[in-house]
Amino acid sequence: MKKVLIIEDDSFLQGLEAGKLKRSGFDIITASSGEEAMKKIHEPSIDIVLLDLMLPDLDGFDILKAIKSTEGMKNTPVIVFSNLSEEEAIKRSKELGALDFMVKSNFTLDELVKRINEILK
Amino acid sequence: MEEIEKLKIENEQLKKVNKNKSDIISITAHQLRTSLSALKWILKMFIDKDVGSLSTEQNELIEKAYNGNERMLVLVNDLLTLSHAEDVSISYNFQSVDILHLLEQVLFDFYGETNKKRIELIFLKPDEDIPLVKCDEEMIRVVVQNLIENSIKYSDKGGKVFVTLVEKNNSIEISVRDNGIGIEDSDKDNIFKKFFRAKNAVEKDNIGSGLGLFTTKDILEKHGGKIWFENKDDKGTTFTFMLPINQTL
Repeated sequence: MKKVLIIEDDSFLQGLEAGKLKRSGFDIITASSGEEAMKKIHEPSIDIVLLDLMLPDLDGFDILKAIKSTEGMKNTPVIVFSNLSEEEAIKRSKELGALDFMVKSNFTLDELVKRINEILK
Repeated sequence: MEEIEKLKIENEQLKKVNKNKSDIISITAHQLRTSLSALKWILKMFIDKDVGSLSTEQNELIEKAYNGNERMLVLVNDLLTLSHAEDVSISYNFQSVDILHLLEQVLFDFYGETNKKRIELIFLKPDEDIPLVKCDEEMIRVVVQNLIENSIKYSDKGGKVFVTLVEKNNSIEISVRDNGIGIEDSDKDNIFKKFFRAKNAVEKDNIGSGLGLFTTKDILEKHGGKIWFENKDDKGTTFTFMLPINQTL
C-alpha cells in the first residue's frame, strides 16, 4: 500500500482528502502544522507528499526545502496542493523541487487521486 | 520642486494603499476558495455516488448546487485576476519576452482540457523568427489563456482551435480562431464590457463571470496594444490582439 503524507492545516479539507485517499487504497499520515510536518517527513516509506502552502506556523516553501534536503526524501514526489494560484508561488514551488502544483479549487478529489496514481505508476 | 516631492509622497502612499487592497483581496480569495473547494469535493462525492445513491430528483439538485459552486469559483478566480491586473498596472513588469516560447507553454498546459473535450488545439508557428517583445509575461500569459479558454469553452466536441503568431509593423499579432458558437451581431458592442455574457455563451456554458474579455482588453491597452474579433461566415470567431514589440509606456 502506497503511503501519502498530507500536510494540510484545515481539518475539514484534510479529512476530505484523507477519506478519499483511504477509500482509493492509500495509507495516510497527516500533519496539521509546519512543526508537525517537519517531524513527519522523517517517517519511513513515504511515497508521495501533498503539501499545502499556507500553514499557521511555517511557510510551505520551508517545508518543501526541508523535504528536499532530508535523506531518504530527496526523491519523494511532492504535489503542492494549495489555493494560492499566483504565478510566483507556482514558479517558486517548481524551483524548490515540487513535481506538480495543483490549485485545490480547480480539481476534484477524483482528479487528485488520478494524478497521484499517474505519478506513482 | 516641492510639488514634485509632494507628488512622490502621494504616489508612495497610493502604492501602499493599493498593496493593502491587493493583500486583502488575495487573502479573501484564498479563504473563499478553501470553502468552495470543500463544497465542490463533497458535492462531487454525491454526484459520483461515493457516499451512496441518490434519487433522480436529489441528484439533479446536487448537480445544480455543484454548477452554482463552480460559477462562484470562476467568479472568485476572475475577480482575483482582474484585481491583480489592475494592481500591477502601476508597475507592470516589462521584460523582453520570447512570445513563441510563452505560446508553446500555454498551449502545452491546455493539453489535458483539449484532450478531455476532444478539441484539436493547433499552433501554426511563424516561418520567420519573432523578436523578443517588451511586455509583462505573466499578464500576457493571462491574455492568451483567456482567449484559448474561451475558444475551447464555446466549441463543440471535435472542434478545432488555431493559434497564429505573426510580426507586423513593429508589433506582433496573435490570433485565436475557433469554429465555435460565434458572436451574435447584437452582442458585438458589449463583448468587452465588464460582467457581460452573451446569451448564446450562457446557453452553451452557464459557468462564467463575464470578466475574462474585459480583463484581457484592459491588460492589452496597458501594454499599448489592442484586441478585436471577427466572426466567420459559417461558424466561429477569431480574436486577434496586437502588442507593440518595443513598449515605451
